[in-house]
Amino acid sequence: MTIDKEDSASAEGGRRPASPIEFRLDPGSGVPTYLQLVHQVEHALRLGYLKPGDQLPKVRDVVSSLAINPNTVLKAYRDLEIKGLAVGRPGQGTFIQATLRQVALPELTALSRSLSGWLTAADGAGLDEDGIVALFTSALRDFYERRSGPRTRGGAASGETEGVA
Amino acid sequence: MNVIETSGLGKRYGGTWALRECTLAIPAGHVAALVGPNGAGKTTLLNLAVGLAAPTAGIVTVLGGKPAGSSAALDGIAFVAQDTPLYKNLSAADMVHLTRNLNRHFDQHYAETRMGELGIPLKRKAGRLSGGQQAQLALTVALARRPRLLVLDEPVAMLDPIARHDFMASVLTAAADDGMSVVLSSHVLAELERVADYLILLSRGRVQVAGDVDDLLTSHRMLTGPAAEAGRYAERPVVHARRAEAQAHLLVRATPDDPVPPGWEAHPVSLEELTLAYLREPGAAALPGPARGRDAQPSEVTK
Amino acid sequence: MTALTMPARSEHDADLRPLPWRRMAWVTWRQHRIALAGVVALLGALAVWLWIAGLQLHHAYAAATACHPASSPACGDLVTSFNAMGGILANGFILQALPALIGVFAGAPVLARELETGTFRYAWTQGFGRWRWTLAKLVPLAVVVAAAAGAISVLLSWYYQPYLAPGNQALSLNEWSPLAAGLFALRGIAFAAWTLAAFAIGALAGILIRRVVPAMAATLTAYTGLAFAAGLYLRQHYLTPLVARNLFNPPGTAFIASQWWTKGGNFAFAGRPPINLMMQFCPPSAVGAVGPGKPSEGTLWQCFAQHGYTLWTSYQPASRFWPFQWIEGGWLLALSVLLIAAAVWLVRRRAA
Repeated sequence: MTIDKEDSASAEGGRRPASPIEFRLDPGSGVPTYLQLVHQVEHALRLGYLKPGDQLPKVRDVVSSLAINPNTVLKAYRDLEIKGLAVGRPGQGTFIQATLRQVALPELTALSRSLSGWLTAADGAGLDEDGIVALFTSALRDFYERRSGPRTRGGAASGETEGVA
Repeated sequence: MNVIETSGLGKRYGGTWALRECTLAIPAGHVAALVGPNGAGKTTLLNLAVGLAAPTAGIVTVLGGKPAGSSAALDGIAFVAQDTPLYKNLSAADMVHLTRNLNRHFDQHYAETRMGELGIPLKRKAGRLSGGQQAQLALTVALARRPRLLVLDEPVAMLDPIARHDFMASVLTAAADDGMSVVLSSHVLAELERVADYLILLSRGRVQVAGDVDDLLTSHRMLTGPAAEAGRYAERPVVHARRAEAQAHLLVRATPDDPVPPGWEAHPVSLEELTLAYLREPGAAALPGPARGRDAQPSEVTK
Repeated sequence: MTALTMPARSEHDADLRPLPWRRMAWVTWRQHRIALAGVVALLGALAVWLWIAGLQLHHAYAAATACHPASSPACGDLVTSFNAMGGILANGFILQALPALIGVFAGAPVLARELETGTFRYAWTQGFGRWRWTLAKLVPLAVVVAAAAGAISVLLSWYYQPYLAPGNQALSLNEWSPLAAGLFALRGIAFAAWTLAAFAIGALAGILIRRVVPAMAATLTAYTGLAFAAGLYLRQHYLTPLVARNLFNPPGTAFIASQWWTKGGNFAFAGRPPINLMMQFCPPSAVGAVGPGKPSEGTLWQCFAQHGYTLWTSYQPASRFWPFQWIEGGWLLALSVLLIAAAVWLVRRRAA
């Protein structure tokens, strides 16, 4: 279930510069709200919707259109600051500061090939698609937890679903 | 500053205690959700906080130590009760005028602007507005008082989804603009995680859980593992257990640092799941400060 | 976690002086203008009726008193037509209901409706404060209602004036005591005081019962009980009644409390003579008397007096009208103040 609303900044006569992006919320996904916002910013960076210098939507506007807690938006923006992707300017807003680290094409190709090899092995061992996904996400989470400790308590748990008997 | 602080607060109606031994300290700058089944004492607690009821036992102070119901407290707290009471024969403009006369601080411009944005006809009697418009009217006059604390008693229970969304958007926008704190009671667990960053769970008149949502979520995990080992696993207090023949899920109080026993998996818990688990286990508690909780007995066995 | 922006108001609560009372003037007016309009309409309609009927009454009275010679048949007709006027206003009892109605419809709903509809959850959490809000509503409403009643009672006094002139009796015109149960509460300050008391009873009933219709019923019941108690029992005893001996023709404006007969210093009978004594001393054939107790047809009484009986009359003279008005108005005012204070106190203390 997605919720989309028009950016209120444009409706107010453009007194404030509008942000290039608009957030959406997927309440049924199980992903914490602030993480969804962080991921959407990172995704926008990857796809080129956001460039360094662009302003992220004002906290007030996000709250007004999505009906979420203001502290949640603050937490997401603070997360982006810690990651070095954004910076807050008092009285003005939060602005993109850097882009995600690009990985070089030969490296990407090598990674992709080794991944295909692993998938073939997993498939040969009898894992189906869901089993592969479960195994991968578990290993991914463990990897990040080991690397950065309790800070990313939810950071690596995106897409995690609760178990139901 | 704590917007609501209680110590051993209790309220008795006739022979029944609607609220008992309630000790809370809700910090300012948060949206606090008060959750619990019907009859748990939510309305009683809110009535005590806004001065509509007097305690039978204990004390309640608001806005940093002011007695509930005192002049200073009334000045800084706006309350929208269940079913958003309005004077049905007064027009919307009259309600604005009324609220302005009865309070020290009132932002007339804000009230008029919001009514215009919401499309509420100023001359129409409040009783002839739709349910959503009535709720927005009651909320507008409350927010125009620029309170430091807004208290809402099941404000969205009777509203359709769009009205509900617009109502909460108004509340949260005001919180973002003014630094206003919010305490609201709610039945709708699914929306809690989006809206609340402080949780209070009431069950049978007692506080079962109270704390920052982030702290609560980091201090609980869901462990999934063999049912045979479930009974022996007692390293951490188990809040709620669900068992089938081969598999068991234990909601435990543990942090991501705590080691996971071999053969078990640990998952983070959602706010809704956590709330439901505690509501199903009236004996369990998660309160700030020294460990107050007690081990819960595994309750559900499903085949 | 702290929120983003600074609070819009300053943090210190420097001035917490109570809000000025005049802020509630608009509130009280706006919320109760229907009730007030109803009171005004009711009294207005009554005023029109009194004016029209009163002019007719005064005209007939003037004609009857100016007629000469008094014993002629033409003048007798004028007297008869005057005595026949009045209708339901005649005894004034019907008008006793007015203060009750005002108390029921203006007084009871003030607090009861807030509690019944739940709007007290709004009204008592505003900055004005609940007990000041209550006081600021009840006092002005009480004053307005009492003042309107006071104005009407001036008109009522004017209307009943022909019946109260001493000397009516001599002309066979109806004459009543200003202290009569039906008239006393309509004139002077009593009407306003009773209306005030009814309003105060209504207000207290509203906070005690918390539902509009039951509070109205309770107000009506309490007021009726109080009015009857005052009219039948209390009023006679404001000042010790005068006692007169063998007063066979008391003035029509006096209010007779009781009459009794003694013989030889001992109590014989009270009020109407018993049948056996009547047969013994003053049989109808000898006296020609029609009914007992009518001093103007006093041949029966004279007859008993001739047989050694002494008539004692305990009464209140008409001259005591204003002292009685002050006494009754005084205790009604004190009661009203007490009831309104009790209502305010209950609002202050009562839990939701």
